[in-house]
Amino acid sequence: MARILIVDDDTDLLDGQRLFLESLGYEVATAKSLEEGIERVEAAAPDLILADLMMEHYDSGFVFCKKVRDRPETAKVPIIMQTAAPREVGFTFSTSEESDKKWIQVNEVITKPIPLPDLEGKIKRYLGST
Amino acid sequence: MTTDPGLASLRVLVVDDEEGMREGMRRVLAKRGFSVDLAEGGDAAVRLFESNLYDIALVDLKMPGKSGFEVTEHINSHGSGRTVVVIVSALATVEAAVDVTRHGAFDFLVKPFTPDDLVEVVDRAVAQRRLLIERETYLSELDSERSQSRRIINWMQQGLVVLNIEKRPCLVNPKAEFFLGVRYRHGMSLEELIGCGEELHPLHEAVQWAAGPEASPESTRVLILKVRELVIEARVGPSYREGSLSGIMILLRDVTEEILAEQDKKRFVSMVAHELKSPLAAVINYLNVIQTGALDDDFPKIKEILTRCKIRAEDLLDLVRDLLYLNQHDAGKTQKSIEPLDLRDVIKSQVEFLRVQAERAGVAVSVEAEAPDSDPRAFTVCADRGDLERVFMNLLSNGLKYNLPNGRLHISLSRVAGEVVARVADSGIGMRSEDMENLFQQFYRIRNSKTSAISGTGLGLATVKRVLGDYNGRIAVESIPGEGSVFTVYFPVEAPETAESSTR
Repeated sequence: MARILIVDDDTDLLDGQRLFLESLGYEVATAKSLEEGIERVEAAAPDLILADLMMEHYDSGFVFCKKVRDRPETAKVPIIMQTAAPREVGFTFSTSEESDKKWIQVNEVITKPIPLPDLEGKIKRYLGST
Repeated sequence: MTTDPGLASLRVLVVDDEEGMREGMRRVLAKRGFSVDLAEGGDAAVRLFESNLYDIALVDLKMPGKSGFEVTEHINSHGSGRTVVVIVSALATVEAAVDVTRHGAFDFLVKPFTPDDLVEVVDRAVAQRRLLIERETYLSELDSERSQSRRIINWMQQGLVVLNIEKRPCLVNPKAEFFLGVRYRHGMSLEELIGCGEELHPLHEAVQWAAGPEASPESTRVLILKVRELVIEARVGPSYREGSLSGIMILLRDVTEEILAEQDKKRFVSMVAHELKSPLAAVINYLNVIQTGALDDDFPKIKEILTRCKIRAEDLLDLVRDLLYLNQHDAGKTQKSIEPLDLRDVIKSQVEFLRVQAERAGVAVSVEAEAPDSDPRAFTVCADRGDLERVFMNLLSNGLKYNLPNGRLHISLSRVAGEVVARVADSGIGMRSEDMENLFQQFYRIRNSKTSAISGTGLGLATVKRVLGDYNGRIAVESIPGEGSVFTVYFPVEAPETAESSTR
C-alpha cells in the first residue's frame, strides 16, 4: 500500500486526515513542523506528500517543498499543498499560473478544508487506484 | 481761479533761479490748493528730491548749474516714475517741445505765461498724476494677487507642474520639485524635469496624451508612480484657455501612507480569515471522518474527536471575542472606569482563577509582593479593573500554557520610581530572539513542534501591549529557549490624563 506523509502544524487536522487516509488503507506518516517533515521524508520515503503552507512562517510549506525537490530520491514525489489562506484577498498562490508554478514546485494547491471524498480523488489521481 | 481742496494732498516743487518767478508761481499754485516747495536751482531741487516725494515738478529749463533737462532726468531715474515733470521755457518751438518729451518731461509751459496758463498746464499734470496713481494701485494689487497665488501654490502639499503648449515646464512648485527630485530652472526641458527612468515613463505617456487630440478639456488621467521610496499619484490633464489648448497640468500627491494602510488592512483581513478558517477546517475535517464511517467501530476515538472539536470551536469563539475587543479598543469604544487598585489583589485573584488550570498543568505558582512598610500603597495604580485583569490573565495563562510539566510560574511585584513593576517568570519552553521581536504583533504565534498542541488566538500579547499603552505602561520580554521566559510590566503610578476619562 502506498505511503503518504502529512505535514501540518494543526495537530487536529493532521489527526483527522491521518484517520481518514488510514481507513482507506494508506500507510500514513505525520509531521507537525517543517523540521519534522524533512526528517520524516528521509525516514518514511513517502509516495505522496500533503503539506500545509503556513507553519512556523507564512511560507514554511514552500521551503519544505523546495527541500523535498532538492533531494534526488524525493524530487519526483507528488506534493499537494494545503492552505487555509484565503485566495480572495490575493494572499495565496495557484499552480495554474505559469510564473507561480516555476518556483512553487508543488503539483497542486488546495484550500482547507477540502471535503474528504475530494481529497481521496486527488490522491488517487497521483497514486492510481490500488 | 478757485481753490480745489482735493489738490491739498498733491505736492508741487517749483524749480527756478529767478526769485520773482518762483514766488509768483508759488502764490498761484498755493491759491489753487496745492502744497508747494521752492528750489532756487537744479542742485537744490536734487537735494529736496532726496528727502521728499513730489507729485508734480515745474522746472525752469535754463538755470546756472544743473539745467532743467538734467533735473528732469535725475527725477525720472531716481524717483519711482511718480513725479510728473513740466518744463518751463522761453523757447516756443516744435523742436523744443519734442526735446522736452524726449528728456522725459510730460509737458511744457512757455514763458511768459499768465496764472491761468500755469493753472491749465498744472491741471493737465494733475490728471496725468492721477492716472499714474491709479495704474500704480492696480499694478500693486495685481502683484499682490499674483504673489498670493504663488504663495498658495508654493504652500500646497500637492506637487504642481504646469507645462506650456510646447510641453516645456513653466511652473513647478517646491513639492513637485521634492517628488521629482529635481530643482526647477527656467527653460529646462520636460525630460530634464521628469527624467527618463522607466518608472516615470507612464507620466511622459500621459503628457503626450494630454497634448494630443484624444484629450478633452474635462479629461484627466490618473497614474500611480513609484518614485524612490514613495508612491505618488499623478493627475495629468490639458489646460484650456478660450477654447484652445494652452498647456498641460500635472498634480502630484503622496499616497504612500494610503497604500501602506491598504496593504496592512489586506494583510490583516487575510490573517483573520486564515485564523478563522484553520479551526473550522480542523473541525469539519474531523466531522467528515466520523461521517465516512471509518471510525464506527472505535467509539472512544469518536468521543476524543468530539472533545477536540468542542475545544477548537471554543478557541474560535475566544478568537472572535478577542477580535471584537481589539476592534472596539482601537476604535476607542471600550468603557473604562478608573479607580485606585492594588495590583497585588488583581494578581492574586487571577492566580486563584487559574488554580485548576495550573494544577492540571502541574505548574507551581507563587506570588511575591511585599509592600515596603513605609508605603502600604506602593502597588496601587489607577486603572480600569477589567483592563488589569485582561493583562494579567493573558500573561499568567501564557505562563501556564507554555510551561513544562513540574514547571514554575513566579510573579513578583516591586516599586521603582514612578512605576509598579510586575515580573511574570516561567520555567517553560522559552523562545528565540526572532520570536521575541514579533511576539506582540497580532496573530503572531510561535509555531513549532513544541507549541503545536497549545491553543491560542495569537491576539493575547497584542492586546496586553495595547491596553498597557492606554496607561502609558509598557511590557518587555526576556527569554532563553528551553529555560523559560520573563515578561515584565511597567505600570505608571500616576495615571495619565487620557486614562482618567470614563470613556475612551
